[in-house]
Amino acid sequence: MSGFGAALGRFFSRGDAGISVPAMDGVFRPNNRLETAERLLSLDHVDNLAAFGGGLVASAGDTLHQIKIQGSEAVGTELETFDAPVTFVAAADDGQLAIGLLGSGIRIGSPGKWTSLDLPREQSSCMTAATFLPDGKLAICIGSRVNSFRDWKRDLMELGHTGQVIVLDPAGGPAKVIADGLAYPNGIVVLDNGRLAVSESWRHRILSVPLDGSGGTQILLDDLPAYPSRLTTAPDGGIWLALFAPRRQLFELVLREDDYRREMIATIDPEEWIGPELSVSRGQVQPLQQGSVRQMGILKPWAPSRSYGLVVRCDGDMRPLESWHSRADGTMHGMTSVCETDAGVFAASQGSGTLLRLPATANGKGQAK
Amino acid sequence: MATSDTLLRLRYRFFPDRMFGELLTKSWIDNVIPALALVVAVLIMVALIPGYLSAGNLADLARQVSEMGLIALALTIVILSGGIDLSVGSMFALCVLTALVCMNVLGLPIAVSLVATLGTGLVCGLLNGVLVGYLRLRAFITTLVTLVIFRALYDIIFPRLASAIVGNMAISPTWDLIGYGDFYGVPVSFFIFAVIAVALHIGLSRLRPGWRLRAVGGARRSAYNAGINVKLTVCLAYVTSGLLTAVAAFLFSARLGSTGADTGIGLEITVLTAVVLGGVSLGGGRGSAGNAIIGTILVLILSNSLIRLSMPGSVNQLILGLVLIAAVLFDRKWVKNRGKILSKIYVSPTFLRLPERDRKAEPAALAINDRLGDTELIGLGTVEGPEDVILDRNDNLYTGTRHGTIVRFFAPDYNRSEVFARIGGHPLGLSFAQNGDLLTCVGGMGVYRVTPDGTVAKVTDETNRSLLSIIDDSRLRLPDDLDIAPDGRVFFSEATIRYDMSEWAVDALEGRGNGRLICFDPKTQTTRTVLRGLIFPNGITICRDGQSLLFAETWACRISRYWFDGPNKGKREVFLDNLPGYPDNLNRGSNGTYWIALLGMRTKTFDLAMRKPSFRRRMAKRIASDEWLFPNINRGCVLHVSETGDILGSYWDEDGENHPSITSTCEHKGWLYLGGVSNNRIGRVRIKDADPDWTALDDYWGKDR
Repeated sequence: MSGFGAALGRFFSRGDAGISVPAMDGVFRPNNRLETAERLLSLDHVDNLAAFGGGLVASAGDTLHQIKIQGSEAVGTELETFDAPVTFVAAADDGQLAIGLLGSGIRIGSPGKWTSLDLPREQSSCMTAATFLPDGKLAICIGSRVNSFRDWKRDLMELGHTGQVIVLDPAGGPAKVIADGLAYPNGIVVLDNGRLAVSESWRHRILSVPLDGSGGTQILLDDLPAYPSRLTTAPDGGIWLALFAPRRQLFELVLREDDYRREMIATIDPEEWIGPELSVSRGQVQPLQQGSVRQMGILKPWAPSRSYGLVVRCDGDMRPLESWHSRADGTMHGMTSVCETDAGVFAASQGSGTLLRLPATANGKGQAK
Repeated sequence: MATSDTLLRLRYRFFPDRMFGELLTKSWIDNVIPALALVVAVLIMVALIPGYLSAGNLADLARQVSEMGLIALALTIVILSGGIDLSVGSMFALCVLTALVCMNVLGLPIAVSLVATLGTGLVCGLLNGVLVGYLRLRAFITTLVTLVIFRALYDIIFPRLASAIVGNMAISPTWDLIGYGDFYGVPVSFFIFAVIAVALHIGLSRLRPGWRLRAVGGARRSAYNAGINVKLTVCLAYVTSGLLTAVAAFLFSARLGSTGADTGIGLEITVLTAVVLGGVSLGGGRGSAGNAIIGTILVLILSNSLIRLSMPGSVNQLILGLVLIAAVLFDRKWVKNRGKILSKIYVSPTFLRLPERDRKAEPAALAINDRLGDTELIGLGTVEGPEDVILDRNDNLYTGTRHGTIVRFFAPDYNRSEVFARIGGHPLGLSFAQNGDLLTCVGGMGVYRVTPDGTVAKVTDETNRSLLSIIDDSRLRLPDDLDIAPDGRVFFSEATIRYDMSEWAVDALEGRGNGRLICFDPKTQTTRTVLRGLIFPNGITICRDGQSLLFAETWACRISRYWFDGPNKGKREVFLDNLPGYPDNLNRGSNGTYWIALLGMRTKTFDLAMRKPSFRRRMAKRIASDEWLFPNINRGCVLHVSETGDILGSYWDEDGENHPSITSTCEHKGWLYLGGVSNNRIGRVRIKDADPDWTALDDYWGKDR
């Protein structure tokens, strides 16, 4: 019904209900805690974190890094460099790793001892996240079957909705598609009830997807103020959600303006498009919004920037409890994954190429203040 | 593609979208709907009732209009003051009684009777005025109570004198003339009414008491803060109301010569309907004499036609009541939403295609560098909004600030500063005249002159009004930059006539030629518009031939040359086209060069938006202004060009930390000074290859003076 109403409203181009973006309020009330978080390590293009051998593994470009944590120090070493960018890293409880390589499938095992699993080209070019299931199988998010992992912005601007969630048995056998037609699934975890939580970036929501088709797909969390990225479980049963870029009214407008958007895609380089970004762009050719004009030497923190840093801690049912922000005047933008271990909560800011350790959460149980 | 572009261009060229918004900004737009309703009502009556426009009918209508119109004017004045007067009906009855008693029973002269009638109205009005104005009682309750009191008085006195009134006749030709007389078919009473109405209109709209009355009704507290005697004003509104009612009663008495028990009953509702229907806002402060008259005629036409259609009186009242409710409802919605509608439709973008720039073929002179990376900063944090900077012969630095002052920084280190002059508006362009006066364009005010001792005087604040412009373009809204020709004429640009200083950047969304080039001639003390339809004309500089000038059109990214004198007078040609950014101020440099400040850089997404006016219109309507797409004015640079328009070099601040947007430059003795309208610092940097003795003042006016 709401879909029908929205369609009707769009037909009559009535009001601005369609172009509102949820306010950062309540749990999402802005703070500066990502900006002031401990900056452990500088790692260009750091993307996906996973717990590994008492420390972390992190993907960054086509390299896999191991990060050892010693007190307040983090030491990063290169584990292995591949011939294609690493698009995801997933760790099993038994220490086994799974990584996705752009265009050349999946590797399972441990550094140096990989087993290859092949996927068709349309599925392997935009794997975005994966998680091991309790039975040892691997559930993988395919962001898009049209655009590559690198061209995520094009997928957004083309209103892409060709994403899938597939389940793959490392022992062999064909991949099973358990959800299809998603708008860029970009993060995945197993919930306590055995279902999967999947973040659907372009629809700014988190879905609950059944493994066996029972009960259908449900919406766990809707109307997020930013584009969600990867999900990870916390030891206390909660879920960490990283959001990689903000939603802005202008982006939503452009997504509705087919004529403008088509010409923009056809004639302008993606770096200069109107749309979300992972990192702060200070170039002279990038678009600017009125609120982002520097006044008296200051960029206001509330400015409608194209990038933003946001990490959210949710409970086991995906209810947001607490959030960490880096605002328009900060740089810790483009958060793509969070990983909680005994040594703390680590977050990857891909936009700035920084590994962060978040300050302690409000309390163990985690009710938002 | 090309065809559709041409169609689009023609459509935006010839279809005047912007008119709707501009019409809504007019204050008379409030009267348009009641006036249209009146025309429609008259047309319907003419069609329905044969002989409606007959002389007799019109004369009859005119008599009624004069009586009810006066009471409507009375009520309008009270409503304008933010109150309401429900007692007009009873007051009217009392005044009628007074007039008839004086004329018929006592047989007094007509002048004395008039004074007595006016006196009655005055006392009644004064009672209301003192209670509401000075004792601060609620107008609604107070006048409701006085309605009952006046009516009770009438009911007590009238039965005792009824037979005396009916039994006697006034013997006075003037009295009869007022009652029945006419000039060329127009009743005398209507003349009286017309004179009073015109006087009131002038008083309300053009004179101080009227303005104060509106101020009190519109915003009582602000009026008080502005020094208006609120209590007296409110009190006088009620007194005036009483007097006008008394005049109406006098006319009524003269016409009928008698009165009845029901005189004035329900009159307040009829008149209130008339006033509100005419467009006087019940909230106070909005309305005019014209509104009251339009409403009166509407209501009279309505009730007369209902009588002609033989409706019973109660149905008549019922219909009037419904009309009143509808009018009040409409008034409320209108007052509330007018501003909203205006803000939604005022921005009216148009088609603007800028030629594409091939990035790969950019000249080396334009490559990004960091020559402005380590400027010496002047006035960091103490100066806000230095749009233009200029230096005098003693090397002191002058700049305007958004606090409405011109600040002077003292040579040689510019650490010390003082407020050189207080202007009151944000000074933008600055220029020294030959005699040492500093001339400045002040946003929202006009062109001003500051003498070397700091005395401020207005040069000009208006130009000739163009014939077909809906908004009044005679006042200067956003004068931007100026320069002075050798003969002393001041040429200045007005960036836009559609936006104020605070929203200058919204003009970028329109991309229309909203600006103009204006010339002030000190010999004749006249200001005349020279060129119209320029796209945000900004910087101006007089060329060294003394016969032409360069002006920048910001959103069009081009600089043109215009000859104002000499053999080429009137000629206009493009000097530099398709710039990589948006040019702001232009200034002369040493060795015959010019400096161009670019306040921002072009982005492909904005260039595309400029070719899609409907996209920009929907953007302006549907998303918050802070979210609007904008040119990238967080990154500017300075271009150095030769006399012939070849780009010699560029100066960039690579990080955009100190000089994100540069709106002006000034070369002085080998240094380049930089200003930015939204910056809080001035920068200066040494220029290589510059003449270390060159100053703009010498270049303009010669070494000696």
